[in-house]
Amino acid sequence: MQISTNQFYDSSLSVMSQLTEQADKLQTQISTTKRLQAPSDDVVAYQQLQLLSRATANDAAYTTNVSTAQSLLNQSDSTLSSVVSQIQRAQELATQANSGTLNDSQRQDIATELNGIISSLVSLANTTNAQGTPLFAGSQGTQPVTQNADGTVTINDTGNATAIPISDDTSVVAGNTAQDVFGGVQTSSGASDLFSILSTFANAMQAGGSGATAAAADAGTALSAALDHVSNAQASVGAREKRLTLVSSAMTDMAATRETQRSSLEDTDVTQAITDLQKTMTILQATQASFTKLTSLSLFNYLQG
Amino acid sequence: MSDILNIGASGVRAYQNAISTVSENIANSGVEGYSKRTTDLSEVSAATSTITRREVATASGVTTNGITRLGDQFKEADVRSTGSDLASSDSSIQWLSQIQTALTGNQLSDQLTTFFNAATAVAADPSASAPRTAMLDAAQGAADAFTSTGDALAQIGITLDATAQNSVATFNGLAASLAKVNDALSRNVPNTNGSAQLLDQRDQLLEQMSAIANISVTTDDFGRATVRVGSGSGPVVVKGNNAGSLSYARGNDGAVAYAVHFGGNIVTAQISGGALAGIADGAQRLAEAQGQLGQIAGDFVDGVNAAQAQGQDLDGNTGAPMFAIGSDPTNVTVALTSPRGIAAAAPGGGSLDNSNLANLTAFRNSGNTEGNVTQLVAETASALSAKQTVADAQASMHSNAIAERDSVSGVNLDSEAVDLLRFQQAYSASSRVIQTARDIFQSILEIH
Repeated sequence: MQISTNQFYDSSLSVMSQLTEQADKLQTQISTTKRLQAPSDDVVAYQQLQLLSRATANDAAYTTNVSTAQSLLNQSDSTLSSVVSQIQRAQELATQANSGTLNDSQRQDIATELNGIISSLVSLANTTNAQGTPLFAGSQGTQPVTQNADGTVTINDTGNATAIPISDDTSVVAGNTAQDVFGGVQTSSGASDLFSILSTFANAMQAGGSGATAAAADAGTALSAALDHVSNAQASVGAREKRLTLVSSAMTDMAATRETQRSSLEDTDVTQAITDLQKTMTILQATQASFTKLTSLSLFNYLQG
Repeated sequence: MSDILNIGASGVRAYQNAISTVSENIANSGVEGYSKRTTDLSEVSAATSTITRREVATASGVTTNGITRLGDQFKEADVRSTGSDLASSDSSIQWLSQIQTALTGNQLSDQLTTFFNAATAVAADPSASAPRTAMLDAAQGAADAFTSTGDALAQIGITLDATAQNSVATFNGLAASLAKVNDALSRNVPNTNGSAQLLDQRDQLLEQMSAIANISVTTDDFGRATVRVGSGSGPVVVKGNNAGSLSYARGNDGAVAYAVHFGGNIVTAQISGGALAGIADGAQRLAEAQGQLGQIAGDFVDGVNAAQAQGQDLDGNTGAPMFAIGSDPTNVTVALTSPRGIAAAAPGGGSLDNSNLANLTAFRNSGNTEGNVTQLVAETASALSAKQTVADAQASMHSNAIAERDSVSGVNLDSEAVDLLRFQQAYSASSRVIQTARDIFQSILEIH
């Protein structure tokens, strides 16, 4: 087949443009470190990458929520420890009062200290978190407990504690309501709350007299029930903290797995790309050299003179 | 004696013609659309001497019959049809790639993910204003992404219309030129440089027309082309020295229609090749993308607003719509003005209640807005990728067809060099024949 001169130049040009285009593509892949420049380069990989990137973005949001929940539970934990210390002090006082060797003046001192404990517990119950909302509030977000003018304490119904979402279908309740912690204590005389137990005890001490010892004994029993109740709440907080630690480390592992998948789908294999680029450039140089040689071949060169 | 002189003279004349044709070939070897020409020489038919009544054949030299143009109409037709196919794919690729860029450029899917994740952050601290403000900003981001993506698609529609109008105008200009060439061909003497030039022009015009729209061509004895748009049964656009015109229209549904206006009649044209076919393909894909995006935007707005309506905001009011749709289905705006308006709580729930955000998460999973956006991009990307593969194959078919045609009609400088040498030597020899004739005549005169 005869190759027309025009055709020879055109096809050489087309081959060299293709090689340059190939080299440029490889150069882009190396410099951007991305194998895929547009969804059409690999549609299946694009869809997988979108899912991965969405999962990564979701996990970033959930990771923030996990940290928030962890810090809330952490604060609950330490606050509950303080509550426990206060109850233990009240228990000591109950033991003292139960010994029957105290006089009314000493009982009044105990009553004063008990009132102090009540105030501390009210303050602990109304602790706010880093965001300024009450730590033991429920969904209503209102103040958890109120100390009335007569010194009695009301535990407000603030709804259920907020559940923070930590994955697409799971959430963690990152706190307890005041009702959970301080109320619902089972005593011999039925359900009561920590504040009532303490104020009954304090009132009995204040009144003094013959009934004081028996009241102290009752208070001792009720307080140990209250201590159990709070300890249970604290144990539950600890369990949730532990669960979040596991969730958090699982998220880190998943993130690493996703990163590996993303990289295998999207990243340029630099060694491969550089080898390919070298190969393409060698072919291009050879083509340029052979083109120059072939174009210098013409019968007209021999027709001179 | 005069016979020899005549023969010599005829040779000089013939080879002068042949050399001039070779020179023409060499001079035009780089010209696109030029077909190689050869000089058609033949021996002057032997005259029979009747005077002497002796049947002696007398040689009378060589004569130029004309110029032959080396063209092959079947190979030309092959170049045209492969060219139409390639131009159609190239044009499709151009539009699909623009649609793909428009769909991905505003990162709609990422913006939606950011929006839903902002809701996750609000759930962690429903009464705080910072996460709510962030969520409203993310809502603005998502709304803007819908609007910008819709605008980018609409912009493609405008460019597409302008490109189609330009291509149609170019096609009509080529058709008018072809009618003029046809006219000239009917008045031209065949087998001359002039007719070869006209045929070159005709084939080049046809090739250019076929890059815009696929055409069927028939030629008559004069070489005049009759052109139909589309298949062999399509409407005539050029016949003899009359040219019609092509028109383009894109309906509201995005469907493209082409029609040929010829001799007062308007006939719909089915164009399946050339840039115009690619434009029709792009327009169809564009309309689909716009429709799907509008659908996704509508579903998203309805879903989010429905979730809002199921809950109550920070001030205890029933959740107001967060998004609104403007004049265009993809024109999404944020209707909510205050971050407090985000209905995180269930009805009756307080400031720390986040249970209504679960409805938003449920809509995120059931509505799958982000997945639908990815799917929309993926459909366009698949179509684009398929076209690219096809275009690669069509490009090699087209270059093969060109190589086939040029092996017949192209100019090869080496073979022209050989011809030049051949005819130059024949010319020199013929000159020598004239000189010899003169010498012989001189010898006769010198006899004393």
